[in-house]
Amino acid sequence: MRLLAGVIETDGNEQLLIIEDGVAQLFFVESEEQRKEFAYYSLLKDRQLHLRNESVSGPGVFRFRYGPVTAGVREAGCFNLYTFGEKILYAGIDLSWKHRRVENAMINKTPQQAVNLAESICSNFALSHSIAFTRAIENALDMKVDMGVQNWRNILLEAERIYNHLHVIAKLASAAAQKVLSSHLSSLFEEALRLNEILTGSRYLMGINDVGGLHHIPSLEDMQHAITTYALISKRFERLFVHSVNNANYMDRLHASGTLTADQAIAMGLSGPSLRACGVKDDLNATISHLIQLPVITQNEGDALARMEVRAEELVNSCEYIIDHLKISDAWNFNSDEKIEPFNQSGEGCGIANSPSGAIAYYVAVNDGLITHAQAFTPSYVGMCAAAFSLDDHIFTDFPFIFDSFGVHFSDAAR
Amino acid sequence: MINFFWASLFFFLVGALFYKKSKASYLLAFVGSVCALLVGIYALNHSNQLFRMSLTTHISITLGLDHLSALFMIIASIAWIALALFSVDYSVFYSKSNLSLGFNLALSGMMLILSARDGFSLLIGWEIMTIFAFIMMVTSGKHYDKAYRFLAFGELSTACLLIGFAILYQSTASITFDALTRGGSVILIFLSLGFIIKMDIVPFHGWMRGIYGEMPDNAAAILSGPVTLMGVYGLERIIPIMPINDSWNLVIIILGALSAFWGGLQAVAANKVRLLPAYSTIENNGMILTAIGFYALAQSITNPDLRYLAMFAQAASVIIALSHTFSKTLLFMSLGHAKEAYDVHTIDEARGVWSGVGKIPALGIVVSALSFSAFPPLIGYVGEWMILETLFQSYKFPNISTEFIAALSGVLTALAIGLIGFAMIKLIGYTALGYDHGRKSRIISNRFMNGSEAGMLLLVILCGVALPAVITLLGFPQLLTSLLDVPAPFVLASNQPIFGVISPTLITLVLITLLIIPVILFMSKQKNVRKVSSWNGGLPLKEEEYFTAQAYSQILEHILRNVYRTKEVRTKNRNGIEVEDIMLKPMNWLTRFVQKIGEGEALVLMNGIISVYVTYILLLFIIVFVIGMMVM
Amino acid sequence: MLKWWPLFGIRRHLTEKRAYKSPINIQSHYGSIFQRSLFVYILDVGSSNALNFEISALESPQYNIHRFGIFLTDSPRHADVLLILGRPTEVMLAPMNETLNQLPEPYYVITIDDSCDALMMSPYPEMKHHVAQLKGVPSPSEILGLLLAISKSKRIVL
Repeated sequence: MRLLAGVIETDGNEQLLIIEDGVAQLFFVESEEQRKEFAYYSLLKDRQLHLRNESVSGPGVFRFRYGPVTAGVREAGCFNLYTFGEKILYAGIDLSWKHRRVENAMINKTPQQAVNLAESICSNFALSHSIAFTRAIENALDMKVDMGVQNWRNILLEAERIYNHLHVIAKLASAAAQKVLSSHLSSLFEEALRLNEILTGSRYLMGINDVGGLHHIPSLEDMQHAITTYALISKRFERLFVHSVNNANYMDRLHASGTLTADQAIAMGLSGPSLRACGVKDDLNATISHLIQLPVITQNEGDALARMEVRAEELVNSCEYIIDHLKISDAWNFNSDEKIEPFNQSGEGCGIANSPSGAIAYYVAVNDGLITHAQAFTPSYVGMCAAAFSLDDHIFTDFPFIFDSFGVHFSDAAR
Repeated sequence: MINFFWASLFFFLVGALFYKKSKASYLLAFVGSVCALLVGIYALNHSNQLFRMSLTTHISITLGLDHLSALFMIIASIAWIALALFSVDYSVFYSKSNLSLGFNLALSGMMLILSARDGFSLLIGWEIMTIFAFIMMVTSGKHYDKAYRFLAFGELSTACLLIGFAILYQSTASITFDALTRGGSVILIFLSLGFIIKMDIVPFHGWMRGIYGEMPDNAAAILSGPVTLMGVYGLERIIPIMPINDSWNLVIIILGALSAFWGGLQAVAANKVRLLPAYSTIENNGMILTAIGFYALAQSITNPDLRYLAMFAQAASVIIALSHTFSKTLLFMSLGHAKEAYDVHTIDEARGVWSGVGKIPALGIVVSALSFSAFPPLIGYVGEWMILETLFQSYKFPNISTEFIAALSGVLTALAIGLIGFAMIKLIGYTALGYDHGRKSRIISNRFMNGSEAGMLLLVILCGVALPAVITLLGFPQLLTSLLDVPAPFVLASNQPIFGVISPTLITLVLITLLIIPVILFMSKQKNVRKVSSWNGGLPLKEEEYFTAQAYSQILEHILRNVYRTKEVRTKNRNGIEVEDIMLKPMNWLTRFVQKIGEGEALVLMNGIISVYVTYILLLFIIVFVIGMMVM
Repeated sequence: MLKWWPLFGIRRHLTEKRAYKSPINIQSHYGSIFQRSLFVYILDVGSSNALNFEISALESPQYNIHRFGIFLTDSPRHADVLLILGRPTEVMLAPMNETLNQLPEPYYVITIDDSCDALMMSPYPEMKHHVAQLKGVPSPSEILGLLLAISKSKRIVL
């Protein structure tokens, strides 16, 4: 399938960043047809900070503002929920509270300096951001990256997926008042974060990836430790998961909440688990060449439960993926000291990464070793829209299940 | 005393003549009402005849006062006094209409009803009251279609009374009240039906939904308070002297309980400033009717155990009638004050009365609404405790069907009290204590308004606090007793030996010593107080972000969607939920049916061909003649 | 089949027994009034989300903050400590000041600044009782150490 990841405007020209068969490419817009192919074209082009900014009126209807300071959704963001009491008639999301203008800050920085900024867009997707960004730079400056670096990036991406999925599922369990389940899941989450620290020196996998290579690779003992810990996490998670799906209370809260059909999901430009939960096979796994292929997990219901199940299965698969790779020395053995030098000093390019919540895409233009234009297209931006859309016609009690199941973050969406 | 009675009628009539000068007219009504109050107080212990004029050998117009009519005259005249004073300021909004004419004459009609000793004078008073209440209602010159429904129900009530007295005349050759002792069950049913219709008992409340929001506030208060009180008076008048009919009593009880429940239910869903108290009227009158039914039922059984219950139930009905008249008058005055000051109609629009309009109307809304939601020690609390206590004692009745119906009506009444509490919190929370969003009301002269509201407010509180005095005044000193350390007249007991007791006086003392004084002391000592706006996610709330009154009751409308027939409306410009009063269905259906018949008749008969019309007239004449012959 | 969670839950002991050290020294104004309970309100004004995740991790059973009497509260009006995450964006300054305004005395304010220097975020405004300013992304045990230092809890388990 063709996924429009972003719309870029440079010097009056408009380019579409399209992902097809796992390859991201830039196309100049030549006809209106190209735009019409994607229903979410204008959403990506406008990059609004006020999503679904309409209002609903009627007797007794009022705007329930949830945010910008809340204890439930801790991030600085605001929901505008129109309601006449219990039912959410129309949901809008205001991202402006967390708009930090990170992309603007990248301009006139060297690519190496800007990696930090890419990571700080959303730290729990730090690695996805930095990989998408470095791939874009490597693309622009025509750098060939070592296979070993690519493999390590893949392994670490899965590590990022594991802790993010654990976090989402723990949040869902906590929202459904499944205290035992959520406590166990958050303990696994903490274990995963500690493992990240052991492997990379940062709990959020920050500062490991760099343009053209990695800063360092873990020691053998650390890898050995990771193998045993991920096996343990996977085993404990599977037991918890099997136990939890037998709990009718819990399933009831997730089932049929925030249902999206496949057509709706495609028309909104979703990617990642939210899209796959609607029964659509995307090709984000093909964005990289794998030694051992990862299966594409799908579910057909398209509701919060399906999204949770997709994440759960992916989590277990990711653990196996890491374990398998760390066991084969070919997969990780390379000399990290050899830095690849850029072939050019100027150019433009795009890069994508398969983040835990969908495709992250970057467009960068470099001139004389300094960035002149950078744009990040994040999964949370379209995900927020989809979350707001699926909140419509649900009652307030369903709010955390719907919103949390999309795994979206304000910092990611607002940039 | 007799002079005061005529003076009162005289002032009302002069007031009616001066209707062009509405302030003077209302002041005359005030003087007339004060006279009526004096008459009532005097007549409490001195019953006598006022006037007698024979029309034919059997029919005469007789006026007189006894304890019962004096009681109701006191209750009604206090409401009249307050309303007349209130209207002096209020009249500026309707200065060019004949509102004061209707007001004065409706009052005089009620005077006639209360002093009537026979069916003829009662019917005259009844008609005067109905017609002039209608005049008040259409004073704005609009909404005739809706007001005619009121007239239709009013005339239905008159027709029932007329039929009742006609049968009485046929069987006893007299229409004096004394003759009622010899009347049969049919008379009882027709007469009480006539009074019940006037009390707006479900399903005879159909007229109120459309028109209550449209008429002037003093008209609404008159219709809701004193006019329904006349229905109560009628029942209290006929029930003790008419022969007993147990099944009809049970019908009355269940009708009252159903009405109370239905009124409470619809009050919860009401969003108009006026409609909510209107449904609360139905609820209160339903409880009064249930109490009266119990009174009649308990009285019919010669069991010494039930003697006390009969008296208690009667006292309950009078206390609720009193509490309803006072509190409802206060509520309508305060709401009317706020509503006119803001010039709005819905509860949502009338937010922030305390800061936007004034403290007295806000306090009036709070106190009267608390009285309706049975907040001790207010008088409404006493009334609702008494009705529940009456229903608790239903086990004393000998047969199972009575017990069952009593238990059922107990359930319905308890639900009604709960629902009305919910509705009143909605009313208080949004109007009196809500946030005004910086709106200021238009400036109106409010000296008389504030005065009458403050007086009524004190009365509602005092009636509860000084309950022993009120009970004694009403003529039920036997209900007062002593318990433990509380001395003799301060305990109201629902049975002897004691079954349940309350003492609002004691509650007041406890409230003052344990709550009010400590709070005042606490407040006065606080020095380090920082006042901040309410916490709403770090930003001040805008007006459109406030929780609306409809949203407050939406969850109940959703849960009871089968009862409310809740419908969700989703169009581009109008979203929301709509509820329906299904008890109005028969009336709406009838209206449509009559309309169709009328249109059809007009098409067939009044089609311009004179011969058809003449034939029709002739035919009607023959039919009437034949029926007349048969009756004779 | 419905399985029973409590048995599942108590089979495993997840709480760690260790000392938590504060990364900085705290000068407390109020003595030891928060010794038994410390309610923390979290306010995100523009962090990169790592800090939000660290707070989630802090709530995990490994740290078990409730045994020290530390609780995260849902309203600033119940808070003893306001924990501000990140450097404020321009629009978040007003909600932040309103939150500070809602805090009941006595209270402490802690800020954790995780933003890149290159981002040029606005500096923190002058705040009362601003007892600690951390830089970077501190680990949950460091945050917990800081909170314990503020509460002067004697219930530190070794």
